[in-house]
Amino acid sequence: MAIKTFSRSAWVAAALGGLVFLLAYSYEAVREKQGSFTVLLENYALMAITVYLLIFLVLLIIRYAVLILYSFMDHLESLHQKRNVSPTLYRDDSALPMISLVVPAYNEGLVIQAAIRSLLLLDYPNFEIIVVDDGSTDDTYEKAIAVAREQLNIPVRVVTKRNGGKAEALNTGMTVARGEFVLNMDGDSKLSSNTLRACIRHFDNPRIGAVAGNVKVINRENIWTKIQALEYVEGLAMARKAQSFMRAVNIIPGPLGMFRKSVLQQVGGYDHDTFAEDCDLTLKLLMRGWHIAYEPTAIAWVETPSGLLDLLKQRYRWTRGILQATTKHSHALWQPRKAGINCFILWYMLFEGIMWPFSTLLGNVFFAYVGIQYGLATLLFYWWLQLTVLDVVAASYCVVIEEEEPSLIFYAIMFRLFYINIIDVSKVFATIEEWRGHTMTWGKLEREGKL
Amino acid sequence: MDLISILATVILVTTVGTMVVGVGAYAAFKLRDKRKPSKKRTDDTLDGTGRQEPIFLKRYVPEATPPTTADET
Repeated sequence: MAIKTFSRSAWVAAALGGLVFLLAYSYEAVREKQGSFTVLLENYALMAITVYLLIFLVLLIIRYAVLILYSFMDHLESLHQKRNVSPTLYRDDSALPMISLVVPAYNEGLVIQAAIRSLLLLDYPNFEIIVVDDGSTDDTYEKAIAVAREQLNIPVRVVTKRNGGKAEALNTGMTVARGEFVLNMDGDSKLSSNTLRACIRHFDNPRIGAVAGNVKVINRENIWTKIQALEYVEGLAMARKAQSFMRAVNIIPGPLGMFRKSVLQQVGGYDHDTFAEDCDLTLKLLMRGWHIAYEPTAIAWVETPSGLLDLLKQRYRWTRGILQATTKHSHALWQPRKAGINCFILWYMLFEGIMWPFSTLLGNVFFAYVGIQYGLATLLFYWWLQLTVLDVVAASYCVVIEEEEPSLIFYAIMFRLFYINIIDVSKVFATIEEWRGHTMTWGKLEREGKL
Repeated sequence: MDLISILATVILVTTVGTMVVGVGAYAAFKLRDKRKPSKKRTDDTLDGTGRQEPIFLKRYVPEATPPTTADET
């Protein structure tokens, strides 16, 4: 024990000695040439930032490589499963369990009827639709009930309640659901017709507690929404596919997630204490040891913000919500043996939520400073270029795998050129405000009724 | 000026510009959120101060009756 302590102290002493030597050596070198303390300080700061950015770059390359590799493995695995499972062995329609679709709606009068009608077209023999009107101040309830009255084949129920937020509405839906499985979605989502069949087959595995769907942008009308379309394909779908290979998807998206009702009840449904209730619920499931799968063919088409300020509002809420959920489950951060893959998932979320935006912003400021101060703008160009190359490679891979529009690859350049700089500023401010404990309110996206 | 220098200048200007736009847009978003009137009250049973009043039941408050002569004795 004493030897171990001595050895550790010796290592620390050696590291400190080395650092002092380096500082003294560099001080001497700078003093001989410039003789200014300010220059020395600047050199140290620039050196420290350079080292940090190099470490960040290495982590980023590892992140992209692992995500592409794992998502490709998941792709191969699903192809292999498809080939091995004979369609005749697939479940008989009469044996398919009942699924309850819970549609929370708050002031969705513009889109609610179209949303319900599109759900009625889903290809599945045994399901019900539950619309939970969360105390809307518009005609959401009346419009939903009108569709429910004209529908005879598939049960459509409309529940109205006092306004209490999305989490409460989903919990209400869970309570009244008659199905063995519950599909939670947004009031403005449009699901692909195969969604229920595609998701339900994952539950053949008794360890799977929930299935995350694939979210895509429907209103690809201007540069903001087109870049978001790429972002959803690249940043979200690729990551989920990779996480699915590990059976540990870290966010079941709000627009499409299917759960065992018993599992939802076991974890107590959605909590109200974060602004990313879907992320929080997913972490609760993972912490309880449930596996979460991802189904890329189950698609939820959603309307995304088409203006900059609405987009910032959404990202601000996501950032703070994810940080709140991570903080809530932070005990797993320091228990790698007990938490296992969940520990890694939390660190990964902190990397994406905090380190990434801070580092890209720091890199931009650093290289802009060096470019203006020392006329080394080419450094900034190379920094930008290597990040853009990573984005373009990932975008190309995702477009091929997801069978998306090839024109989206072009938006990877726009993404890096201006989009992510603006978003990262907002994320950094959101992180600072969360850390300082600023109060926050829900930001609801104003619907344009494009579905 | 070679191609790399031109591209580098473009990226430098764009980076600085977008960061400034980012800060401006964030300030605008916060300002808009602050200035936006709180639409319509989501719950009609709440009064202006956010207190909830009973919808159907009116609390019975007995009227103050003047003391009778019997009480005085």
